[in-house]
Amino acid sequence: MVRIEVLGTGCAKCRRLVKNVEKAVADLGIDAEIIKVEDITAIMDRGVMLTPGLIVDGELKVSGRVADVNELKEILQG
Amino acid sequence: MPEQPSCSCGDTSAQTGKKRNIFPCAGVANVGQLSNLAALQLTEEGFGAAACMALLATGAEGLMKSIGDADEVIVIDGCPIACGREIAGAQGITPDQHIVVTALGIAKAGSREFSDADVETVVSAAWEGVGRND
Repeated sequence: MVRIEVLGTGCAKCRRLVKNVEKAVADLGIDAEIIKVEDITAIMDRGVMLTPGLIVDGELKVSGRVADVNELKEILQG
Repeated sequence: MPEQPSCSCGDTSAQTGKKRNIFPCAGVANVGQLSNLAALQLTEEGFGAAACMALLATGAEGLMKSIGDADEVIVIDGCPIACGREIAGAQGITPDQHIVVTALGIAKAGSREFSDADVETVVSAAWEGVGRND
């Protein structure tokens, strides 16, 4: 199972990134756990200083912007 | 006090994404009016900056410079007649993303009514990149 963490404090861009991740996961049909990390301390602990952020299996993939669905599919397919 | 993470909302610079110009067709039918509202909401959400399709048709120098400085141009047309894309094309601009509202399952109607859900459908499509040309 792929572990996907979306980091953000609940702003518009963070919500958009969550939606795009959900769409990409659904389109790919992969087994994934999507976790929303909204606590500011937890976000800092992951080394992200500009939200929204995306971490896949512990690796930071996106910070400070909303990746579109095609880019997310490429990220998730490795 | 340690530095805290900051949110990129409201920042459309290249550092935090892409600088985008959004042109809605803003036609008088429901789907045209919907394109306009979606462009304004996208601006509020930090996706890019809405601009006037009518101004684009004039080839105004300031707007053309703004487009030249942008990373992406998004055209939102209400229906397949695609007036917005035609206007952009007449100025030598090929949109990086072209969204047609009716292609998203929203019917063109005689009335000017649409729902909040319709606006969300169009806004989501832009964020998802469904109209991308690559």
